[in-house]
Amino acid sequence: MFGVDVGGTFTDVVAVRDGVIEVTKVPTDASSPQAAVLEGAARLDVAGAQVFNHASTHGLNAIITRRLPKVGFLTTEGHRDMLDAGRAWRPFDGQTNPHWRRSFGDAARPLVPRYLRRGVRERISHDGTELIGLDEQQARHELAVLSRCGVAGVAICLLHSYVDPAHEQRLLALAREVLGDIPVSISSAVSPLAKEYVRASTTVIDVFMRLIYTGYATELDAKLGDLGFAGAFNFADCAATLMPWQHALDQAHRIVFAGPAGGTMASARLGRATGETNVVCCDVGGTSTDVSLVLDGAPVLNTTFELEHDMVINALSAEVTSVGAGGGSIVAVAPSGSLVVGPASAGANPGPACYGRGGTAPTVTDACLLMGILDPDGFAGGEIKLDIDAARSAFEGLDTPLPFEERVRSAYRIAVSNIGEEITNIAIRHGLDPRELTLMAYGAAGPMLLAATMDDVGLGRVVVPPHPGLFSALGLLSTDFVHLESRSKYLVLSEDTADEVETIYIDLERRLRERVGEISGAVTVRRTFDGRLLGQTWEMPFVHVPDGAVTPASVPAVVTSFHDEYERRFGQRFADLPVQGVTYRVELIIEAPKYDHPELAPGAGQELEPSRIVELMGPAGAPLAAGLYQRDTLAAGDRLTGPAVVREALSTTVVMPGQVARIGSRGEIIVEPEPNGSAA
Amino acid sequence: MTDVTTPDARLRGLDDNAFRSRYGCDRFTATVISNRFRYIVEHLCADLLHNAFSPVLREWYDFATTICGPPEIGYPTPAVSNSLVVFIGTMTDAVKNLVEEYGIDRLQEGDVLIGNDPYRYGTHVNDVVFVRPVFDDGALIGFVNFKAHQLDMGGVVPGGFSGTKRNVYENGLVLPPRPLYLAGEPVQETWSLLLENIRFADLVALDMQTICRGLELGERLLKESVARYGLEAMLGAMRYATDAGAERMADAIEELPDGDWEGEALLDCDGVDDLEEYVVRARVIKRGRNVEVDLSGSSRQARTSVNGTVLDAKTAVAVAFKYLFDPHGTFTSGAIRPIDILLPEQTVMSALPPNGVVFLFWDATNLIVSAILQAFAAPLGRLAVAGDMGSTNLHNASGFYEDGTQWVSAIECGGEHGPWGATHAGDGDSYTFHFQLNNLDPALESIESSSPVIITRREYVPDTSGPGENRGGAAVLKDSYWLEPAEHHSMALRFKRPSGFGVQGGGEGMNGGVWLWAPSSEPGVRLISVEPEAYHDATPVSGWLDPETNELSRETGAYKFFADPPVHNTEVGASFRYVTNAGGGWGDPLDRDPARVRDDVRDGYVTIGGAARDYGVVVVGDPDEYPEDVAVDVGATAELRASLRGEPSAR
Repeated sequence: MFGVDVGGTFTDVVAVRDGVIEVTKVPTDASSPQAAVLEGAARLDVAGAQVFNHASTHGLNAIITRRLPKVGFLTTEGHRDMLDAGRAWRPFDGQTNPHWRRSFGDAARPLVPRYLRRGVRERISHDGTELIGLDEQQARHELAVLSRCGVAGVAICLLHSYVDPAHEQRLLALAREVLGDIPVSISSAVSPLAKEYVRASTTVIDVFMRLIYTGYATELDAKLGDLGFAGAFNFADCAATLMPWQHALDQAHRIVFAGPAGGTMASARLGRATGETNVVCCDVGGTSTDVSLVLDGAPVLNTTFELEHDMVINALSAEVTSVGAGGGSIVAVAPSGSLVVGPASAGANPGPACYGRGGTAPTVTDACLLMGILDPDGFAGGEIKLDIDAARSAFEGLDTPLPFEERVRSAYRIAVSNIGEEITNIAIRHGLDPRELTLMAYGAAGPMLLAATMDDVGLGRVVVPPHPGLFSALGLLSTDFVHLESRSKYLVLSEDTADEVETIYIDLERRLRERVGEISGAVTVRRTFDGRLLGQTWEMPFVHVPDGAVTPASVPAVVTSFHDEYERRFGQRFADLPVQGVTYRVELIIEAPKYDHPELAPGAGQELEPSRIVELMGPAGAPLAAGLYQRDTLAAGDRLTGPAVVREALSTTVVMPGQVARIGSRGEIIVEPEPNGSAA
Repeated sequence: MTDVTTPDARLRGLDDNAFRSRYGCDRFTATVISNRFRYIVEHLCADLLHNAFSPVLREWYDFATTICGPPEIGYPTPAVSNSLVVFIGTMTDAVKNLVEEYGIDRLQEGDVLIGNDPYRYGTHVNDVVFVRPVFDDGALIGFVNFKAHQLDMGGVVPGGFSGTKRNVYENGLVLPPRPLYLAGEPVQETWSLLLENIRFADLVALDMQTICRGLELGERLLKESVARYGLEAMLGAMRYATDAGAERMADAIEELPDGDWEGEALLDCDGVDDLEEYVVRARVIKRGRNVEVDLSGSSRQARTSVNGTVLDAKTAVAVAFKYLFDPHGTFTSGAIRPIDILLPEQTVMSALPPNGVVFLFWDATNLIVSAILQAFAAPLGRLAVAGDMGSTNLHNASGFYEDGTQWVSAIECGGEHGPWGATHAGDGDSYTFHFQLNNLDPALESIESSSPVIITRREYVPDTSGPGENRGGAAVLKDSYWLEPAEHHSMALRFKRPSGFGVQGGGEGMNGGVWLWAPSSEPGVRLISVEPEAYHDATPVSGWLDPETNELSRETGAYKFFADPPVHNTEVGASFRYVTNAGGGWGDPLDRDPARVRDDVRDGYVTIGGAARDYGVVVVGDPDEYPEDVAVDVGATAELRASLRGEPSAR
């Protein structure tokens, strides 16, 4: 099994053979990202592997940097400026800021410049009535202009096409006639959902991703074959579920933000093995911490997400929020005199001051070194020698009256608190009690920070998985194939509409099965809908549809399912109000081969003796005498008491005073408050 | 007028002990709690947005949330939602006025108080303030508050939006402070009083329930913060956040040299006639870390519902200063602290009942923003900000379906969204809101699903931007085609003089207009062209319109005011067109990079004629048919720019 995560700086390749993990890191060449993938595949000998699961941020980086191919956008005449207008909403930073500009607007950096956004005469109403027929002559004329401009692809989004796709489909045929065989995405196929701007934005992203990934994936497929690979080559999407690569190109907007969800999927998988079903997933990277959620054993998904403020995409994605507190986050002094951590980051280059690569700003990693948490000689498996003097002078350089130790301690506490507040924020959003949540701490820097959040947030426990630095990449080997189809239709759920709803579901499933072809492996079909109380405009997504056909007899159970879910999420029940179905979703889930962390041999179940005692600068003030442990010597069932430091090649786990840790069946370190003890 | 006095020592200079003794916690805790206040209000807003029933809440985000402290520390408001700026500035005073009149001693846990009187709480009658006092251990520790626009509040105009109502009795139901819940129990007579005096009561009742549920969530989160950090720290954090807001503002003001400057802006008229113009004159007097804004000399209150109140004026002053001096910091009640305002009673922005009727208050008080931006244009130099669209050009339509049910389409089919002015940071965006607003724009597909209308065009108009080294945003043109007979109110209040003033040598943005087309004899939806001939069979509604051709023209046009007639009754198939004012330019247009002018021609923001006239750039080619072949004639441009520079009178 191979998992490949193509990042902007490095391409991480993970191979699992007979339960043994091998890893390699290849620098990514943005102009030819497939080279690093192939290099990594060759290094770890991809021949004979069953699956090659791939996630990349290449497409996302192309959007963010606007290094994009030239595409045209066709819409209903009079409406071409929808891509400039967005939803008009300004972010907090633009609320009273006259210099704020919409990042994708014509006054900043549009994805499609205005001259390539053209109107076509036609009009369909919200109930599907054709108000103005498609003016084919005028459409050909506009397409000819795009042809003269040499567009590489076209996105088409006509008003109300989610109700009736006829005009878009005809326009697609005309585009083929005039422009030849170039990628053309139409909104009624890409994302047949109401609200034109988001549908248009999704369609534009779709055509960009097709342009960016088609040649890339085709070449990878061929060259992996040359390396002797004969297994399945798959793409992961924004929810970290898999699609065969050819299918991914047919729904290319789904792969724009692949990667961050990998850790969420890995958390769900490990949680299932160890009995943790409600998990806050915290991936502490160099620049930021990504926080996501697993509830009832499944990642929490959103139906839309933003690539930039208001650049919205309709696609299922793990709900990931970022907080600017990572190992490289810079510690600075705000105008009001407070210390702040992030969002500025020293990144990988020059990196924290202690890396000795020219960084002079103090970072969270420098604080951890000065506190004694990190071992100057044993960092990153001994590959990087940490320069403690450089870390010290970076903190000394801060313009603040705070004494030296207080600066260091505050930096650590602020980073921990920023992450903790984001966890609290997410718990509030989902109406969860933090005591019932388990925090999964990963990313190389996660285990040294996250146990400290437990007291702030009131979490039940913190779990440090085996190989915390590789955990996200292993997520690509923890996931299933998910094929999905969805369609919008406003229908008040009742005896009268039950048959129509059922027809939609049957049709969606039929299309899915056609697309997927012959299926080997276990299949689950899941029906959900996005619905709302009649009169509302924002839908509650993923309402469970009880098993069996939707019929006049069963429709009350569907309605009840909605009211139950609404009450669960929002604390109110409006049982007298009709429920309106908006978007109907069918998922076809096919099991894929997965990696599981192997069981660890049990030890004696004893309280372990530390190899020695190290002195830490305590975050709360007094110095701490912490027991030191080596992770590779731990056995399942072993126990230790904080304060403690557990070192492994690429990571360090800190257990705070008042906390105890035990080793779980898969080698995970489980940190909990000391029973009957008082947390420090 | 403000919450607490500014400490003498700068926040940055406070050592740990001094900080702790002033705010009851360390800096770190104060920062954590301040951030927590902010996401609590965001959660409350997200909850209402996603669960509301009225279009104005669920599509427009026409509401705001705040948290504020208890009376003894002056109701400091450390966190406001990222929504209507016009709301959040009034909220501190609204809560204070509401609970003090009701009686602080009467407050108990589980109460929700409401009120909507603009003269007490700012904004207009449809905006109901919901206040929930929060207690900890029996002590009042603060308030969680919503101000939310209700779909209807009675009065003569369905939905309320109108510039022609003449007194408070026509305007809608006025609610002095009263309980909606007492100790957690609904007060039936309040619900009945409200719901039996308004239209669409079913929807409004559901929205109000959702709001009250949100207040409970806010109360719980605030109490959890107290449990976590202690009451002293929470109250200290409230004061810290507002002190920091005040200090940021004063620091930025201090950087400017002392001086006195003036600016003014104009509301065209009220709904009676166009003989009387309403002018706001702002004289700003800057000394050290303080500013006085003297608004005396402004016009008397208008005779119809275009006025604002003194709380709205205060908000507008704070907003203008935020834009100019503290654009990045979050808005707190501290922002206004370094500023004194001199404002006589009974002006267009300090109206009084019963005849100084208030509805379109944000257009009246946006004059203050315009005037202050102009006053500071010279002293700020490069940091000056050009003018915006000015008015929201609202359109309100209503009628009855065949089965007798009433419908209303409010604030979605006029010229509500439009451009900003340019700044040193770049061209203005063409599609935003006037400076005092920040809302979601409803999807056209949503509008058409809930109102009997087809939005046939929504696009930008070439050659309207105020030219400049950075140009203003372009005017927005919006056409609506009505599928039912309807009664229309049109409310464009700033067409007389350009609202998009230029700065630093930049030019003015063009002014807009409004037209009406009677139903055509041809069947089907009418797609009206944007060519000049299209206006010949239009009915002028407002703006400087040529009496022969109906085209927009400052030179040959006659000014037509928005309320002549006050109501347009139309049959099936009528169309309205709104063109907004355009944004002002920043910097000399002759300094604009010719390549940017070429791109504007290619993109249809500027015509070839406009490029020569406004920018002195000679562009050749056919932008419609061969957009990538348009090019700058470098020699001819140099010559033209030289001649334009030599003859400033030609511009």
